[in-house]
This record gives sequence, structure tokens and C-alpha cells, in this order.
Amino acid sequence: MAIICPSCCHENIDGADICENCQHSLTGLNRPGDSQSPIGNAMLRDRIASLDPRQPIAVSADTPVAKVLQMMQEKGIGSMLITDDGKLIGIFSERDAVMRLGADFSNYRNRPISEFMTCSPDTLTMDNKVIFAVHKMALGGYRHVPIVSGDDLVGIVSIRDILRYTSEKLAGMDTQVE
Amino acid sequence: MTIQLNLQSDQVEVAEAESTVVTTPTTSIEEVFLLMKSHEVGSVLICEDNKLVGIYTERDAVKAMVDNIDLRLPISEVMVASPMTIGEGAPLAEAIQLMAAGRCRRLPIVSGEKKLTGIVKVSGILHYFVEHFPQTVFNLPPEPNIIISEREGA
Repeated sequence: MAIICPSCCHENIDGADICENCQHSLTGLNRPGDSQSPIGNAMLRDRIASLDPRQPIAVSADTPVAKVLQMMQEKGIGSMLITDDGKLIGIFSERDAVMRLGADFSNYRNRPISEFMTCSPDTLTMDNKVIFAVHKMALGGYRHVPIVSGDDLVGIVSIRDILRYTSEKLAGMDTQVE
Repeated sequence: MTIQLNLQSDQVEVAEAESTVVTTPTTSIEEVFLLMKSHEVGSVLICEDNKLVGIYTERDAVKAMVDNIDLRLPISEVMVASPMTIGEGAPLAEAIQLMAAGRCRRLPIVSGEKKLTGIVKVSGILHYFVEHFPQTVFNLPPEPNIIISEREGA
């Protein structure tokens, strides 16, 4: 059984300690007796780009809270990205609205969103593997990961994209079994 | 062996959330906001005589903030009545398909006559995946594209 490198996807021979192609350590993946699941393998193989990340919707740091909430509702999105000159500086989610604004929200309507956002959120790039998004969401407990290219914001992946991806993979496997 | 077999045979309860926050239809919106904050949850289920009658989520909370709604109103005025549910003991695959198709992130679990037994959330399903291929997920480096040039230790 080949070991797929999580970093570059190269198929290494069983027992390899480091990836032949990129020198990434494979020691943790190299344990006998462990069978990898087909969905796990697909997540290791497919790149974030295959999730077709949605266009990011972003505002500047001085945008008032009320305006941000209104945009989130109109566009039906769960989180708003905050940028400064195209560079991502924060994220504000529905969860933040409940936790940080809560029942006192009317007192904060005109305050800048920068006071309530989460600064410097974790990001990924288009060529990272899907599994990294799952990893970040499961361990970090959040539902959105912004996608960047260098300093530029290029997309956003939500937990729903992962759900859709999984359900498509499941449907694909059903037909294979038949 | 495959995760697909697990998804068909494992019941929805394996990904069930640890706790469910429940209230009554007469609770004020303000109290529901406070419940969400103190329990750190994104949804509150509304039950009457042990029967599920509605759900109120953080998405609805954002809408209430935009509409500048009177927080003294009872939650029954703004809750989503008769939400989509999943039956007790249904396969997990069904929950995934329902969420993907119905564009919702939570499904209350009910038995028989709409009696609430729990809730399954999209985050619980993600955790289920992580637990089912721990080797694949937990052995990832903290950041992608890290190349370790030297072996650690002696």
C-alpha cells in the first residue's frame, strides 16, 4: 500500500520515512495495520480548489456593526471577512454576533466591526488539501476558513462545502458498489 | 472497513451533541439570546409538553438584530416552527444527505410523536470523520507546506 504525502500528494512506497518528492516527514502516517478510509484518502488527495470556494465578501474595519449584520442577512452568509487594502485582517461570524453582541446589540449598532471581529483568522491556500480545512474546522471549532493567495484574499470555504463534498463522495461510492 | 459502511450502519446518535438547550414557546427573545450566550450554542430548541415545536438559531438571531426586533416578544413569534427533524436511530448517512440537501446545519432527533431526544450538528459529523480517520487527520502538520529539514532529537 502506498503512502500518500499530505503535503505534495506524491505516492511513496510503504515504509518510507520521508516523502521522496518533497522531503515531508511521513513517520506519523507510516504505521502498519492502519487502513485509510476512501473519504479520508479523497480528502488527502483533493485540493481546496476542488471545493470551488465561493467569492469572499469583505468590508473594511471601520464598517458599522449594523451594516455588517444587514449584509450578512441579505447575502445569506454566516461570516463576514474584514480587509484592509485587500489584506485579510479579521472575520466576524454569526456566532460572534450572538456571543459578543447578544441581547445588547442595539447599543453597538454604530460601533466599528473591528471591535467585535476575530483578528488574524487561520487561512489556507487553493493548493492545500481538503483535509487541512477539515482539520482546522474540527480542532479550531469554527465553520469558515478564508482562502488566500500571498496577501490577497481569494475565497472562503465553509463547513457546508465540506458537507457537500462528503455527500457527493458518498453518492459516488454508492454507484461504485452497485 | 470503509467509512461508507460505517455511515450506513452507524446511527445518527454517534454524532449527537453532548447537550441540547431547550426552552418553552413563552420565553422572551432576550432570554433566548442569553441562553445561547451562556451555553455557547448556536441554536435553542423550543418544546411544549416534551414535543418539539420550533427551533431558533444564530442565523435567526442575526435577522432579529437587523430588524431591530422587540426582545420582550415571546420566542414563538420568531422561531422556525415545525423544523426539519431526523428519526431516532436513523443512519448517519441520512443526516448528512438531509443537511446537504436541506441547507441546514442542525437536525433535532425525535422519536415517535415528535418527542425530542437530542440534536445532531454539522460539527458533530465533522468530529465523527476526524475520529474515523484519526491517522489521516491527527498526523497532519500544524501548518501545510512545512518541510522538516532535519530529524528531531539525537
